[in-house]
Amino acid sequence: MKPDSAAQAAPLPRPSSRPTLPAGLVRWLHAVARYYPVALILLLWELCSRIGLFDPLFVPALSDVLQTWYVEMFVTHDLLVHIAYSFGRASIGFAMGATVGIMVGILMGRVRAIESFVDPLISAIFPTPKLAIFPLMMVFLGIGDASKIALIFLGCFFPIVIATYAGVKNVDKYFIWNARTKGANSRQVMWTVVFPAAMPFVFAGLRTAMLTAFLLIVASELIAANEGLGYLIIFAQRTFNPTLMFAGVLTVSTMGFIADRLLQALGRRLFRWQEQAER
Amino acid sequence: MTGQADAPHISVDHVNKRFQTASRAQLQALKDVSFAATRGEFISIVGPSGCGKSTLLYIVAGLLDASDGTVTVDDERVTGPSPERGVVLQNFSIFPWRRVIDNVAYGPEMRGASRQERRRIARQYLETVGLGEFAEYFPRELSGGMKQRIAIAQMLACNPSIFLMDEPFGALDALTREVLQEQLLRLWERDRKTVLFVTHSIDEAVLLSDRVIVMATRPGRIKEIVPIDLPRPRRAEEIRALPQFGTLRRHIWASIRAETLEMMQ
Ligand SMILES: Nc1ncnc2c1ncn2[C@@H]1O[C@H](COP(=O)(O)OP(=O)(O)O)[C@@H](O)[C@H]1O
Ligand SMILES: [Mg+2]
Repeated sequence: MKPDSAAQAAPLPRPSSRPTLPAGLVRWLHAVARYYPVALILLLWELCSRIGLFDPLFVPALSDVLQTWYVEMFVTHDLLVHIAYSFGRASIGFAMGATVGIMVGILMGRVRAIESFVDPLISAIFPTPKLAIFPLMMVFLGIGDASKIALIFLGCFFPIVIATYAGVKNVDKYFIWNARTKGANSRQVMWTVVFPAAMPFVFAGLRTAMLTAFLLIVASELIAANEGLGYLIIFAQRTFNPTLMFAGVLTVSTMGFIADRLLQALGRRLFRWQEQAER
Repeated sequence: MTGQADAPHISVDHVNKRFQTASRAQLQALKDVSFAATRGEFISIVGPSGCGKSTLLYIVAGLLDASDGTVTVDDERVTGPSPERGVVLQNFSIFPWRRVIDNVAYGPEMRGASRQERRRIARQYLETVGLGEFAEYFPRELSGGMKQRIAIAQMLACNPSIFLMDEPFGALDALTREVLQEQLLRLWERDRKTVLFVTHSIDEAVLLSDRVIVMATRPGRIKEIVPIDLPRPRRAEEIRALPQFGTLRRHIWASIRAETLEMMQ
């Protein structure tokens, strides 16, 4: 195990001639270095605004957007409320889609009758544009949270069920054989072999699903809502407030970015056992 | 040991195995295979590759069904796998998501042993195969030979009365191989398990076994069963120095060679 060098450097009060940077700053610099492509684009944006390449009526300067963002977030707290709504709906839909998707995916991979029943349904329903039938869902579920959660659920369910199914199908037969000769019953084979072996696939599905959830939540709130980030964005558009609109858009991207990074970090922790492909 | 020491522990009777191949043709992997192993007998199975050694072992394990014929263990018909019949698979197939120690502890875990108990058992067998210090490693961090030894420890930890081993020393370097051969000899002399041992090494088969089954191919069948009348307990160097050892080795070698040449024509 490699010790975390940054964390170890901090509590050593040795009178060194070489000044060491505080651990927090070091970590921050590391993050900046890792994400410099993102920083570069943001910098370019600000630069183009400053030299007058962008019309502020369409694309306001990043610094103005950030200022508006700060006010909406920490002074009026309006943005915080919209974030809470969007995040709440998206999380519930994602959690439901993940739970049902993983369960159905495993069953498909293990029970032939379920596989032959569900597989054509996936082929038929997955390509159906969910946003196009969203108004129909509102007729049945109302314009409130339920229809939006249902939309997210559908959007998350399919990538997860497909990934899980592929993962379960892909489990090496010899792992299962080995388990059975060690006395594992079918339930134990499920939990100790099929599930862990399929996990990396499931995780890939979760990632796609989570990013889909971000796209769909905003889209559904653009169509019909009284709160949420999508609502904020469409409201800003209608009131000709591009700075506010970009503050909303930037919030969505940043949330998606952070969530995706966290999920990937979790994946790296969980799948340390995995053989890395050469490249 | 009871008076019925000669009653078969494992009995394979007229087993055929046909596989449906991708091209819809049928492949006869085993044809009319019959033999019996007495309790505590060490039997090796040798033959050209593709002659059905693994298939035969998996049928005895209960992992594959015979197309015809039966396998009985202690007069009970085999219909599925059991922890009483320990298996080391040819590609070892230990679980990459489990640390070495949790791999070895797998069998005890499945039968519900406490965490403390199964870790104690696992440590003991890890020591047996000389990998005690790798307990907390993941399999990907180990060499092929080490993984193979983990698979052996994993089987030993179930304490089965029958060992079914498919080329368990195949991925080992010559030196480790000889060490483990000695260890298996000692273990067998102490516990007297019934062993079916598939190997490519005729030397290994003669050294370890009471009898060697020589198989022929297309269809896979038993060509002959060679009794190995060498004294026990055996020490590898002493046994290899005996003139009978060379005679037996040459005999089996010639038998397989004829078979292999025939196959290549
Ligand atoms: N699942 C299977 N489907 C079709 N053919 C198989 C299958 N398993 C093994 N065979 C065939 O059966 C024969 C015996 O295989 P195997 O028992 O692995 O041989 P060995 O272990 O002696 O090398 C080979 O010709 C192999 O191709
Ligand atoms: Mg084989």
